[in-house]
Amino acid sequence: MNTDDLIAQLAQDPAPAPSARVEARLWPWLAGGLALTAAAFALLLGPRPDLAAALAQPVVAAKTLLPLLLAALALPLALRAVRPGARPGWPARVLWALPLAVVALIALAWLGTPASERMRLFIGHSIHVCLPAITLLSLPPLAGLIAALKRGAPVHPTGAGALAGLAAAGLATALYSTFCIEDSPLFYGVWYSLGIGIATGIGALAGRRWLRW
Amino acid sequence: MTDRNELWGDLLRRGNRGDAAAYGRFLTEAVPVLRNIARARLPGGNAEELEDVVQEVLMAVHAKRHTWRESDPVTPWLYAIARYKCADAARRRLGRGGQGADVPIDDLAEVLPDEAGGEITAARDLGRLLDRIEPRAADIVRGLGIQGESAAEVGSRLGMTEGAVRVAYHRAMQKLRDMADDDMAAGNAVGEVERPGQIKGAGDEPGPTGRRAEAADG
Repeated sequence: MNTDDLIAQLAQDPAPAPSARVEARLWPWLAGGLALTAAAFALLLGPRPDLAAALAQPVVAAKTLLPLLLAALALPLALRAVRPGARPGWPARVLWALPLAVVALIALAWLGTPASERMRLFIGHSIHVCLPAITLLSLPPLAGLIAALKRGAPVHPTGAGALAGLAAAGLATALYSTFCIEDSPLFYGVWYSLGIGIATGIGALAGRRWLRW
Repeated sequence: MTDRNELWGDLLRRGNRGDAAAYGRFLTEAVPVLRNIARARLPGGNAEELEDVVQEVLMAVHAKRHTWRESDPVTPWLYAIARYKCADAARRRLGRGGQGADVPIDDLAEVLPDEAGGEITAARDLGRLLDRIEPRAADIVRGLGIQGESAAEVGSRLGMTEGAVRVAYHRAMQKLRDMADDDMAAGNAVGEVERPGQIKGAGDEPGPTGRRAEAADG
Protein backbone atom coordinates (compact mmCIF):
# COMPACT_ATOMS: atom_id res chain seq x y z
CA MET A 1 0.00 0.00 0.00
CA ASN A 2 1.06 3.51 -0.79
CA THR A 3 2.12 5.49 2.29
CA ASP A 4 -0.12 8.44 1.41
CA ASP A 5 -3.12 6.13 1.15
CA LEU A 6 -2.25 4.63 4.51
CA ILE A 7 -2.11 8.08 6.08
CA ALA A 8 -5.44 9.03 4.51
CA GLN A 9 -6.94 5.89 5.99
CA LEU A 10 -5.44 6.41 9.46
CA ALA A 11 -6.49 10.05 9.49
CA GLN A 12 -10.12 9.09 9.23
CA ASP A 13 -9.93 8.05 12.87
CA PRO A 14 -8.02 10.88 14.51
CA ALA A 15 -9.09 10.74 18.15
CA PRO A 16 -8.04 7.79 20.32
CA ALA A 17 -10.81 6.11 22.29
CA PRO A 18 -10.79 7.31 25.92
CA SER A 19 -10.96 3.68 27.03
CA ALA A 20 -7.66 2.98 25.27
CA ARG A 21 -5.69 4.78 27.97
CA VAL A 22 -3.53 2.54 30.16
CA GLU A 23 -4.86 4.11 33.34
CA ALA A 24 -8.43 3.35 32.31
CA ARG A 25 -7.75 -0.31 32.80
CA LEU A 26 -5.01 -0.17 35.38
CA TRP A 27 -6.98 0.32 38.57
CA PRO A 28 -9.72 -2.24 37.94
CA TRP A 29 -7.21 -4.87 36.85
CA LEU A 30 -4.79 -4.19 39.67
CA ALA A 31 -7.61 -4.16 42.20
CA GLY A 32 -8.90 -7.45 40.81
CA GLY A 33 -5.48 -9.04 41.15
CA LEU A 34 -5.02 -7.69 44.65
CA ALA A 35 -8.44 -8.98 45.70
CA LEU A 36 -7.43 -12.45 44.59
CA THR A 37 -4.15 -12.19 46.47
CA ALA A 38 -5.88 -10.90 49.60
CA ALA A 39 -8.40 -13.75 49.45
CA ALA A 40 -5.63 -16.34 49.12
CA PHE A 41 -3.75 -14.71 51.96
CA ALA A 42 -6.79 -14.65 54.25
CA LEU A 43 -7.63 -18.23 53.42
CA LEU A 44 -4.17 -19.79 53.69
CA LEU A 45 -2.07 -17.53 55.91
CA GLY A 46 -3.81 -14.72 57.77
CA PRO A 47 -2.20 -11.97 59.82
CA ARG A 48 -0.14 -12.80 62.90
CA PRO A 49 -2.02 -12.44 66.20
CA ASP A 50 0.32 -9.81 67.62
CA LEU A 51 0.35 -7.68 64.46
CA ALA A 52 -0.40 -4.31 66.05
CA ALA A 53 2.25 -4.70 68.74
CA ALA A 54 4.81 -5.98 66.24
CA LEU A 55 4.29 -3.07 63.83
CA ALA A 56 5.03 -0.67 66.67
CA GLN A 57 8.66 -1.76 66.45
CA PRO A 58 10.41 0.14 63.64
CA VAL A 59 12.49 -2.83 62.50
CA VAL A 60 9.35 -4.93 62.15
CA ALA A 61 7.37 -2.12 60.52
CA ALA A 62 10.18 -1.78 57.98
CA LYS A 63 9.46 -5.21 56.58
CA THR A 64 5.96 -4.03 55.66
CA LEU A 65 6.76 -0.43 54.78
CA LEU A 66 9.77 -1.04 52.55
CA PRO A 67 7.84 -3.34 50.19
CA LEU A 68 4.96 -0.85 50.14
CA LEU A 69 7.39 1.90 49.24
CA LEU A 70 8.84 -0.36 46.56
CA ALA A 71 5.39 -0.80 45.04
CA ALA A 72 4.69 2.92 45.27
CA LEU A 73 7.85 3.66 43.29
CA ALA A 74 7.76 0.77 40.83
CA LEU A 75 4.16 1.35 39.80
CA PRO A 76 4.64 4.86 38.38
CA LEU A 77 7.87 3.66 36.78
CA ALA A 78 5.99 0.83 35.08
CA LEU A 79 3.44 3.32 33.81
CA ARG A 80 6.16 5.57 32.45
CA ALA A 81 7.87 2.59 30.87
CA VAL A 82 4.85 2.03 28.63
CA ARG A 83 4.89 5.63 27.35
CA PRO A 84 7.46 5.95 24.57
CA GLY A 85 9.97 8.69 25.17
CA ALA A 86 8.90 9.26 28.80
CA ARG A 87 11.77 9.64 31.25
CA PRO A 88 11.74 7.51 34.41
CA GLY A 89 12.40 10.62 36.51
CA TRP A 90 12.84 10.79 40.24
CA PRO A 91 11.13 7.51 41.24
CA ALA A 92 13.94 5.66 39.44
CA ARG A 93 16.53 7.46 41.52
CA VAL A 94 14.69 6.98 44.80
CA LEU A 95 14.14 3.32 44.00
CA TRP A 96 17.85 2.66 44.41
CA ALA A 97 17.67 3.84 47.98
CA LEU A 98 15.61 0.75 48.85
CA PRO A 99 18.25 -1.93 48.33
CA LEU A 100 20.69 0.33 50.16
CA ALA A 101 18.27 0.61 53.07
CA VAL A 102 17.86 -3.16 53.11
CA VAL A 103 21.62 -3.71 53.12
CA ALA A 104 21.95 -1.19 55.94
CA LEU A 105 19.25 -2.95 57.94
CA ILE A 106 20.95 -6.29 57.44
CA ALA A 107 24.31 -4.86 58.46
CA LEU A 108 22.87 -3.26 61.59
CA ALA A 109 21.09 -6.48 62.53
CA TRP A 110 24.31 -8.39 61.95
CA LEU A 111 26.18 -6.11 64.31
CA GLY A 112 23.38 -6.09 66.85
CA THR A 113 22.98 -9.86 66.97
CA PRO A 114 25.24 -12.13 69.04
CA ALA A 115 27.43 -14.25 66.76
CA SER A 116 25.85 -17.47 67.98
CA GLU A 117 22.37 -16.23 67.03
CA ARG A 118 23.08 -14.88 63.55
CA MET A 119 22.83 -18.12 61.64
CA ARG A 120 19.66 -19.18 63.44
CA LEU A 121 17.91 -15.89 62.67
CA PHE A 122 19.17 -15.86 59.10
CA ILE A 123 17.88 -19.35 58.28
CA GLY A 124 14.75 -18.95 60.41
CA HIS A 125 12.08 -21.60 60.13
CA SER A 126 9.90 -20.50 57.22
CA ILE A 127 11.96 -20.05 54.05
CA HIS A 128 9.92 -22.82 52.47
CA VAL A 129 6.76 -20.77 53.10
CA CYS A 130 8.20 -17.34 52.53
CA LEU A 131 9.67 -17.78 49.05
CA PRO A 132 6.73 -19.58 47.41
CA ALA A 133 4.19 -17.39 49.20
CA ILE A 134 5.76 -14.12 48.03
CA THR A 135 6.13 -15.45 44.52
CA LEU A 136 2.59 -16.84 44.26
CA LEU A 137 0.90 -13.88 45.96
CA SER A 138 2.66 -11.63 43.43
CA LEU A 139 1.17 -13.39 40.45
CA PRO A 140 -2.44 -12.07 40.49
CA PRO A 141 -1.49 -8.37 40.73
CA LEU A 142 1.28 -9.01 38.22
CA ALA A 143 -1.21 -10.52 35.78
CA GLY A 144 -3.52 -7.54 36.28
CA LEU A 145 -0.67 -5.11 35.70
CA ILE A 146 0.55 -6.86 32.58
CA ALA A 147 -2.99 -6.92 31.19
CA ALA A 148 -3.30 -3.19 31.79
CA LEU A 149 0.18 -2.34 30.50
CA LYS A 150 -0.58 -4.14 27.26
CA ARG A 151 -2.52 -1.03 26.31
CA GLY A 152 0.69 0.94 26.52
CA ALA A 153 3.70 0.94 24.24
CA PRO A 154 6.79 -0.16 26.16
CA VAL A 155 9.95 0.33 24.13
CA HIS A 156 11.62 -2.12 26.52
CA PRO A 157 8.97 -4.80 27.10
CA THR A 158 11.23 -6.88 29.35
CA GLY A 159 12.06 -3.92 31.55
CA ALA A 160 8.45 -2.80 31.76
CA GLY A 161 7.48 -6.34 32.77
CA ALA A 162 10.20 -6.37 35.41
CA LEU A 163 8.88 -3.09 36.86
CA ALA A 164 5.39 -4.57 36.94
CA GLY A 165 6.89 -7.57 38.74
CA LEU A 166 8.57 -5.30 41.27
CA ALA A 167 5.34 -3.41 41.93
CA ALA A 168 3.30 -6.60 42.28
CA ALA A 169 5.93 -8.21 44.49
CA GLY A 170 6.07 -5.12 46.69
CA LEU A 171 2.34 -5.32 47.32
CA ALA A 172 2.38 -9.09 47.84
CA THR A 173 5.36 -8.91 50.18
CA ALA A 174 3.82 -6.17 52.28
CA LEU A 175 0.79 -8.37 52.74
CA TYR A 176 2.83 -11.48 53.46
CA SER A 177 4.92 -9.60 56.02
CA THR A 178 1.84 -9.26 58.24
CA PHE A 179 1.74 -13.06 58.51
CA CYS A 180 5.44 -13.69 58.93
CA ILE A 181 6.80 -13.66 62.48
CA GLU A 182 10.47 -13.67 61.55
CA ASP A 183 11.35 -10.16 62.50
CA SER A 184 15.10 -10.01 62.04
CA PRO A 185 16.38 -8.20 58.95
CA LEU A 186 18.84 -11.08 58.75
CA PHE A 187 15.85 -13.14 57.68
CA TYR A 188 13.50 -10.84 55.84
CA GLY A 189 16.17 -8.63 54.33
CA VAL A 190 17.54 -11.64 52.51
CA TRP A 191 14.59 -13.90 51.85
CA TYR A 192 11.97 -11.26 51.05
CA SER A 193 14.45 -9.72 48.64
CA LEU A 194 14.98 -13.07 47.02
CA GLY A 195 11.23 -13.64 46.69
CA ILE A 196 10.80 -10.16 45.21
CA GLY A 197 13.66 -10.93 42.85
CA ILE A 198 11.96 -14.11 41.67
CA ALA A 199 8.67 -12.29 41.07
CA THR A 200 10.53 -9.54 39.21
CA GLY A 201 12.15 -12.14 37.00
CA ILE A 202 8.74 -13.62 36.25
CA GLY A 203 7.52 -10.12 35.44
CA ALA A 204 10.44 -9.61 33.06
CA LEU A 205 9.65 -12.87 31.27
CA ALA A 206 5.97 -11.99 31.14
CA GLY A 207 6.86 -8.59 29.72
CA ARG A 208 9.03 -10.10 27.06
CA ARG A 209 6.28 -12.50 26.16
CA TRP A 210 3.18 -10.31 26.39
CA LEU A 211 4.22 -6.68 26.27
CA ARG A 212 5.62 -6.64 22.77
CA TRP A 213 3.61 -4.69 20.27
CA MET B 1 13.17 21.25 17.04
CA THR B 2 11.08 23.27 19.46
CA ASP B 3 9.09 24.65 16.57
CA ARG B 4 8.50 21.19 15.30
CA ASN B 5 7.41 20.01 18.73
CA GLU B 6 5.02 22.92 19.03
CA LEU B 7 3.58 22.43 15.58
CA TRP B 8 3.25 18.67 15.88
CA GLY B 9 1.94 18.93 19.40
CA ASP B 10 -0.69 21.36 18.19
CA LEU B 11 -1.65 19.09 15.29
CA LEU B 12 -1.85 16.03 17.52
CA ARG B 13 -3.92 17.85 20.15
CA ARG B 14 -6.34 18.88 17.44
CA GLY B 15 -6.34 15.29 16.22
CA ASN B 16 -7.20 14.12 19.72
CA ARG B 17 -10.27 16.35 19.50
CA GLY B 18 -11.33 14.76 16.24
CA ASP B 19 -9.63 17.01 13.69
CA ALA B 20 -8.85 14.52 10.92
CA ALA B 21 -7.07 17.07 8.73
CA ALA B 22 -4.69 18.07 11.52
CA TYR B 23 -3.95 14.47 12.39
CA GLY B 24 -3.37 13.60 8.74
CA ARG B 25 -1.03 16.54 8.39
CA PHE B 26 0.95 15.42 11.44
CA LEU B 27 1.38 11.95 9.96
CA THR B 28 2.34 13.36 6.57
CA GLU B 29 4.92 15.69 8.07
CA ALA B 30 6.34 12.90 10.20
CA VAL B 31 6.97 10.60 7.24
CA PRO B 32 10.22 12.16 5.94
CA VAL B 33 11.64 12.12 9.46
CA LEU B 34 10.57 8.52 9.91
CA ARG B 35 12.23 7.63 6.61
CA ASN B 36 15.46 9.14 7.86
CA ILE B 37 15.28 7.18 11.08
CA ALA B 38 14.53 3.97 9.20
CA ARG B 39 17.41 4.58 6.80
CA ALA B 40 19.82 5.22 9.66
CA ARG B 41 18.64 2.23 11.67
CA LEU B 42 18.45 -0.25 8.83
CA PRO B 43 21.61 0.31 6.85
CA GLY B 44 21.54 -1.24 3.43
CA GLY B 45 17.78 -1.53 3.36
CA ASN B 46 16.25 -1.00 -0.04
CA ALA B 47 13.57 1.62 -0.62
CA GLU B 48 10.76 -0.89 -0.48
CA GLU B 49 11.90 -2.38 2.82
CA LEU B 50 12.33 1.07 4.34
CA GLU B 51 8.88 2.15 3.18
CA ASP B 52 7.41 -0.99 4.78
CA VAL B 53 9.07 -0.06 8.05
CA VAL B 54 7.85 3.55 7.79
CA GLN B 55 4.32 2.26 7.31
CA GLU B 56 4.71 -0.04 10.29
CA VAL B 57 5.79 2.93 12.38
CA LEU B 58 2.80 4.94 11.17
CA MET B 59 0.44 2.14 12.14
CA ALA B 60 2.14 1.81 15.53
CA VAL B 61 1.87 5.57 16.08
CA HIS B 62 -1.80 5.33 15.23
CA ALA B 63 -2.49 2.30 17.41
CA LYS B 64 -0.60 3.80 20.37
CA ARG B 65 -1.49 7.47 19.93
CA HIS B 66 -3.20 7.43 23.33
CA THR B 67 0.23 6.93 24.98
CA TRP B 68 1.24 10.48 24.06
CA ARG B 69 0.37 13.03 26.73
CA GLU B 70 -0.68 16.42 25.53
CA SER B 71 1.72 18.06 27.95
CA ASP B 72 4.73 16.14 26.60
CA PRO B 73 6.85 17.04 23.57
CA VAL B 74 5.92 14.97 20.53
CA THR B 75 9.31 14.18 19.05
CA PRO B 76 10.78 12.01 21.84
CA TRP B 77 7.58 10.00 21.80
CA LEU B 78 7.49 9.66 18.03
CA TYR B 79 11.18 8.82 17.71
CA ALA B 80 10.99 6.23 20.49
CA ILE B 81 8.20 4.46 18.62
CA ALA B 82 10.17 4.68 15.37
CA ARG B 83 13.31 3.28 17.00
CA TYR B 84 11.34 0.43 18.56
CA LYS B 85 9.78 -0.56 15.27
CA CYS B 86 13.08 -0.25 13.43
CA ALA B 87 14.75 -2.48 16.02
CA ASP B 88 11.92 -4.92 15.46
CA ALA B 89 12.51 -4.88 11.73
CA ALA B 90 16.27 -5.26 12.23
CA ARG B 91 15.67 -8.25 14.47
CA ARG B 92 13.39 -9.84 11.89
CA ARG B 93 16.03 -9.28 9.29
CA LEU B 94 18.63 -10.92 11.54
CA GLY B 95 16.27 -13.77 12.26
CA ARG B 96 16.03 -14.47 8.59
CA GLY B 97 19.70 -14.20 7.74
CA GLY B 98 21.66 -13.94 10.94
CA GLN B 99 24.32 -16.23 12.17
CA GLY B 100 23.08 -19.27 13.98
CA ALA B 101 19.54 -18.71 12.79
CA ASP B 102 17.95 -21.99 11.96
CA VAL B 103 16.54 -21.26 8.53
CA PRO B 104 16.79 -23.20 5.31
CA ILE B 105 19.53 -21.64 3.31
CA ASP B 106 17.31 -21.06 0.30
CA ASP B 107 15.27 -18.57 2.28
CA LEU B 108 18.35 -16.42 2.23
CA ALA B 109 18.14 -16.13 -1.51
CA GLU B 110 15.53 -13.43 -1.01
CA VAL B 111 17.55 -11.56 1.55
CA LEU B 112 21.07 -11.64 0.26
CA PRO B 113 21.65 -9.35 -2.65
CA ASP B 114 22.68 -11.03 -5.86
CA GLU B 115 26.12 -9.57 -5.85
CA ALA B 116 26.93 -10.69 -9.35
CA GLY B 117 26.82 -8.55 -12.42
CA GLY B 118 28.75 -5.55 -11.21
CA GLU B 119 31.46 -3.94 -13.20
CA ILE B 120 34.50 -6.08 -13.35
CA THR B 121 37.75 -4.47 -12.44
CA ALA B 122 40.96 -5.59 -10.99
CA ALA B 123 40.49 -9.04 -12.40
CA ARG B 124 44.22 -9.57 -12.56
CA ASP B 125 44.79 -8.80 -8.89
CA LEU B 126 41.66 -10.59 -7.94
CA GLY B 127 43.01 -13.67 -9.65
CA ARG B 128 46.05 -13.51 -7.43
CA LEU B 129 43.91 -13.27 -4.33
CA LEU B 130 41.63 -16.04 -5.54
CA ASP B 131 44.54 -18.46 -5.61
CA ARG B 132 44.74 -17.99 -1.86
CA ILE B 133 41.20 -19.03 -0.98
CA GLU B 134 39.39 -22.34 -1.13
CA PRO B 135 39.13 -23.60 -4.74
CA ARG B 136 35.37 -24.04 -4.63
CA ALA B 137 34.81 -20.57 -3.22
CA ALA B 138 37.19 -19.19 -5.82
CA ASP B 139 35.21 -20.99 -8.49
CA ILE B 140 32.02 -19.32 -7.27
CA VAL B 141 33.62 -15.89 -7.22
CA ARG B 142 34.96 -16.42 -10.74
CA GLY B 143 31.57 -17.54 -11.96
CA LEU B 144 29.52 -14.80 -10.35
CA GLY B 145 31.94 -11.94 -10.20
CA ILE B 146 34.10 -12.36 -13.30
CA GLN B 147 32.21 -14.43 -15.83
CA GLY B 148 28.94 -12.81 -14.93
CA GLU B 149 27.01 -16.03 -14.44
CA SER B 150 23.92 -15.94 -12.28
CA ALA B 151 23.80 -17.62 -8.89
CA ALA B 152 21.43 -20.20 -10.33
CA GLU B 153 23.82 -21.08 -13.15
CA VAL B 154 26.79 -21.45 -10.84
CA GLY B 155 24.62 -23.47 -8.49
CA SER B 156 23.55 -25.93 -11.13
CA ARG B 157 27.15 -26.30 -12.28
CA LEU B 158 28.41 -27.02 -8.76
CA GLY B 159 25.37 -28.89 -7.53
CA MET B 160 24.48 -26.23 -4.96
CA THR B 161 21.27 -24.36 -4.37
CA GLU B 162 21.06 -20.76 -5.43
CA GLY B 163 20.89 -19.61 -1.84
CA ALA B 164 23.97 -21.61 -0.89
CA VAL B 165 25.88 -20.09 -3.79
CA ARG B 166 24.99 -16.59 -2.66
CA VAL B 167 26.01 -17.34 0.88
CA ALA B 168 29.31 -18.83 -0.23
CA TYR B 169 29.89 -15.89 -2.59
CA HIS B 170 29.12 -13.41 0.12
CA ARG B 171 31.55 -15.08 2.51
CA ALA B 172 34.26 -15.40 -0.09
CA MET B 173 33.95 -11.71 -0.99
CA GLN B 174 34.22 -10.82 2.65
CA LYS B 175 37.35 -12.88 2.92
CA LEU B 176 38.85 -11.35 -0.20
CA ARG B 177 38.10 -7.88 1.07
CA ASP B 178 39.82 -8.72 4.33
CA MET B 179 42.80 -10.12 2.50
CA ALA B 180 43.03 -7.03 0.31
CA ASP B 181 42.82 -4.86 3.39
CA ASP B 182 45.59 -6.86 5.01
CA ASP B 183 47.73 -6.50 1.94
CA MET B 184 47.19 -2.78 1.90
CA ALA B 185 47.84 -2.52 5.59
CA ALA B 186 51.03 -4.45 5.11
CA GLY B 187 52.02 -1.77 2.65
CA ASN B 188 52.77 -4.04 -0.25
CA ALA B 189 51.29 -3.16 -3.55
CA VAL B 190 49.25 -0.15 -2.65
CA GLY B 191 47.73 0.97 -5.91
CA GLU B 192 48.48 -2.34 -7.44
CA VAL B 193 46.07 -4.58 -5.64
CA GLU B 194 42.71 -3.04 -6.18
CA ARG B 195 40.20 -4.05 -3.63
CA PRO B 196 37.82 -6.64 -4.92
CA GLY B 197 35.17 -4.65 -3.12
CA GLN B 198 34.83 -2.74 -6.36
CA ILE B 199 33.35 -5.72 -8.08
CA LYS B 200 30.36 -5.54 -5.85
CA GLY B 201 27.19 -3.64 -6.38
CA ALA B 202 25.15 -4.09 -9.52
CA GLY B 203 24.07 -0.57 -10.33
CA ASP B 204 24.12 0.34 -6.66
CA GLU B 205 25.43 3.68 -5.64
CA PRO B 206 29.06 3.22 -4.70
CA GLY B 207 29.12 1.97 -1.16
CA PRO B 208 31.52 3.25 1.44
CA THR B 209 33.81 0.36 0.62
CA GLY B 210 34.11 1.41 -2.98
CA ARG B 211 34.65 5.02 -2.08
CA ARG B 212 37.37 4.18 0.36
CA ALA B 213 39.11 2.05 -2.24
CA GLU B 214 39.08 4.94 -4.69
CA ALA B 215 40.55 7.23 -2.11
CA ALA B 216 43.30 4.74 -1.46
CA ASP B 217 44.03 4.51 -5.14
CA GLY B 218 44.19 8.23 -5.70
